[in-house]
Amino acid sequence: MNDLALVNKNLWRKPVRTILLIVSITIAFLILSLMLSFNSAISNFHTLPTRMVTLSKINFTESLPIAHYDRIARTEGVRVATHMNWFGGYYQDPVRGFMPVFAVDPQTYFQVYSEDLQIPDAEREAFFNDRTAMLVAEPVAERWGWRVGQRIPINSNIFTNGSTGNSVWEFTLVGTIPTPSGSSQTGSVLIHYDYFNETITFGRDRIGWVPFLTTSSEVNDQVANAIDQRFANSQDETSTQDEATFNKSFAAQLGNIGLVVTLVVSAAFIAILLIVGTTMALAVRERTREVGVMKTLGFSSARVLRMVLAESILLSVLGAAFGVGAAALLLSALSGAGGGGGGPQISFAPIVIAWAGVIALLLGLVTGLPPALQAYRMRIVDAFARR
Amino acid sequence: MASLLDQIGAVTSLNVRSIPQRGAMSIASVVAVALTITVLLFFLALANGLRSTVEGSGAEDVAIVIREGSNAELNSVVTRDQLSILAAGPGVAQRDGQPLASGELLVIVDGVKRSTGTNANMPFRGIGPEGLALRRSVHITQGRMFTPGTNEIVVGAGLLREFSGFEFGRSIRIRGSEWQVVGVFEAPGTVFESELWADIAVTQSLFNRPNIFQTMRIQLSSASAMAAFKQWAENDPRLNGLEILSEREYYARQASQSTQGFMMIAWVLGIMMAIGALAGALNTMYSSVAARAAEIATLRIIGFSGWAAFFGTMVEALALSALGGVLGVLIAFVAFNGRTTSTLGSGFTQLVFKFDLSPGIIVTAIIVAIIIGLFGGLFPGIRAARQRPQLELAAA
Repeated sequence: MNDLALVNKNLWRKPVRTILLIVSITIAFLILSLMLSFNSAISNFHTLPTRMVTLSKINFTESLPIAHYDRIARTEGVRVATHMNWFGGYYQDPVRGFMPVFAVDPQTYFQVYSEDLQIPDAEREAFFNDRTAMLVAEPVAERWGWRVGQRIPINSNIFTNGSTGNSVWEFTLVGTIPTPSGSSQTGSVLIHYDYFNETITFGRDRIGWVPFLTTSSEVNDQVANAIDQRFANSQDETSTQDEATFNKSFAAQLGNIGLVVTLVVSAAFIAILLIVGTTMALAVRERTREVGVMKTLGFSSARVLRMVLAESILLSVLGAAFGVGAAALLLSALSGAGGGGGGPQISFAPIVIAWAGVIALLLGLVTGLPPALQAYRMRIVDAFARR
Repeated sequence: MASLLDQIGAVTSLNVRSIPQRGAMSIASVVAVALTITVLLFFLALANGLRSTVEGSGAEDVAIVIREGSNAELNSVVTRDQLSILAAGPGVAQRDGQPLASGELLVIVDGVKRSTGTNANMPFRGIGPEGLALRRSVHITQGRMFTPGTNEIVVGAGLLREFSGFEFGRSIRIRGSEWQVVGVFEAPGTVFESELWADIAVTQSLFNRPNIFQTMRIQLSSASAMAAFKQWAENDPRLNGLEILSEREYYARQASQSTQGFMMIAWVLGIMMAIGALAGALNTMYSSVAARAAEIATLRIIGFSGWAAFFGTMVEALALSALGGVLGVLIAFVAFNGRTTSTLGSGFTQLVFKFDLSPGIIVTAIIVAIIIGLFGGLFPGIRAARQRPQLELAAA
């Protein structure tokens, strides 16, 4: 029998106890995985160091005149610029059917966000060529059961359609956008700015914000200054920042999510650290005589220490694997059931696996070390003297 | 033979006195329950503080008019014509012969969140001359109210606590004009404290929204006039497409939208952590039963019933988890009760509120702790009751 088999036997000698410990470790790692995935879903979108955005200095909900767009696009250091408007879109129900619909300038939008818009040429051309065309993120189409070629009525909770007098626009679905984890297009619905601008009854010739690529991230500050200087003291002053900074401050609006995640995960782990630590200590104490027997048989102290450590690490790695696995299953089930809705879609973040691995090892070491040292130091005489 | 109660008392005291022998495990299970309760209370107190602030903002005798289907003020539109029709409606209170009504416009401006230094959405509200009178809970505590027709702002005290950029006396440049902060107002426990107010006409013109109103607030003579007012408005075709609610109804709706998410997080995390803590409690209690096998067996032989062994274990489990629950509540009180925080409210603007541990929430948390104790004592208790005395003693 090799040592590992012995470790495994030791671990399962009291199956109820071991299962209970694994349950509590699993829960802690489930919480860790869910919280980290949530945090990364709201803060870690793909960003490019050269992608920046110009917004109204007052707030990003204030619009800018369309004339700003040409001036920004012609600024030195700007490679290509596009513009976006918030449509306030929903499908059927204003709350449940809410979706982030953006009126965009198709060609330039595809240049600025090219890495996240890998769709077949035919679909892209169809979107470019039909003013009433619409592209949606895959989960959105899945959620509502939309098929390519369908005419979809989308409501706006802001604008009125001048050609019909109500707040509904019909768009032709010409394709879907795949949205792997972290895609900047998560949940997006894209329509044509020109069509939008001609049919709305107010707010015409205004744009929401201007995302653009710089020629190199080294000129970012210079470009931002040039743009904001250009519009300083005008009616529509601007604020230009890089994409990552903007995303960060947007996520910070919800609250200090990073801190809350850290506190909750810490609470869960302090609890299981204590539970697992004290139980491991008890388990080794119960085996005092056996440790004596093993040492009598010639097991070295170091070997005994390794075996106890291996047991605690095995325990925490098992729990971690179950916890991470459960989180992955849960998140994929959730995104299948109701994804593509309002908020960002929460998908399993791969970074979780790295964190869980490191924490599982640490947890195993910390909970196993005190009893392992106790077993290491134990003298055969004392082992048999104790009852 | 002793009565069952005496037996239970004897076994319980035996258990409780032997807790120090399993000190580390018992403490671990108390702390696990305490941390579970703290996490649950964190989100429940957050949701409760948010809800009571939003709900506490509405009066029953003030009508609020929004566009039908617009979920937030930001998406609503009310025209000037509709405004005049509504102001002449039945039951509208008057002051000096003028109807107490205010057409309002909400725009969003950037403020800087003090804790992170990042930009955040501040609600900037243009209000009519009667806007202040329509909000009875509001009092100017520093400086004065803005003068109608000027670029003056008054700022809510809650907003000032959490965000910088709008300090009293400061002048702010928006759309090429200087605005002066001339006053600070308080309205404890309401959403208004998170707002900036200025004159409606000036706001419309400087934010390039000529003649646009989003909402209208109307003071009715009494809460009972509300039904008649709604009825009258419904029958007037010129008011088609508008929705009229009492301020209280309006804010109750906003509150449930804002708090749903936090309530869900509270219970999902709370239940998960409770399961983890329960596993710890079960382990502790199983060890406790195993450690006292010989004592329990002895008692059974001298005539104690299985029930006594069961209840002894149950009482120990309940005592540990109740202790954990109380510790969790204490941590919550010290760590976050009454603390001010802010989040993005349903109006897409920051809402400042306080963590609020209400008695109901504390009772809920203690119940959760006791449920953990009940399950934690149940199965080990059954094992204790079923032990076969001869075998246990032979083994010892």
